[in-house]
Amino acid sequence: MDVNPQHLQDKARQFQENMVPQLEDARRNLEDFNTRVVSFVRANPGTCLLGAVAVGFIVGRIASRR
Amino acid sequence: MTTFQSNPGNNGGQAQGEQGQAGFGHRVDRIGSDAQQLWDDARGAVTDLNATLDLKGRVDRNPYMMLAAAFGVGYVLGGGLFTRTTARFIRLGVRLAALPMVKDELLGMAEAAMRGVEMGARTMNDMSGSGGGVSGGGPERQ
Repeated sequence: MDVNPQHLQDKARQFQENMVPQLEDARRNLEDFNTRVVSFVRANPGTCLLGAVAVGFIVGRIASRR
Repeated sequence: MTTFQSNPGNNGGQAQGEQGQAGFGHRVDRIGSDAQQLWDDARGAVTDLNATLDLKGRVDRNPYMMLAAAFGVGYVLGGGLFTRTTARFIRLGVRLAALPMVKDELLGMAEAAMRGVEMGARTMNDMSGSGGGVSGGGPERQ
């Protein structure tokens, strides 16, 4: 099998050039999401805690039925 | 329930009725003040509990941790504590927690093994290098 190192290198560079902006976008989106979630939790602590307790209760119920 | 009735035809009865009404009013006042006191105590207790727990401050400092703790409380209340799912999660957590220690141990063992191999190879080289002289210097078979 004929493998051209230059061709492989170009392919890898192209892949990197395509992937890096997408990874950067994903990182930025995740940071935005995290900031929004944290600010929502800080603005409504009681609601979020009660919701978490309710979700935990439901999951515990499901786990205990198995 | 006690009912207070006044008799208008009798002066003594009227006085008694007024006295009874005054006693009733006094009792109502006392019940009202007791209720107010109870309400104040309850509000004070709730305020003290809030100040002690400091839920808002804790959520401000560690929002995800508090959400996880609330989830855990709900999970326990839902009866999920003594289940196979919990046992599985605990086992996974123990393994993940033990991973760094095991990794360090394995790395130490691998380093020791590599060092031993290197030492063995060096010894073998030394022996083979000086082995010719020893065999050459020994008694020859005839």
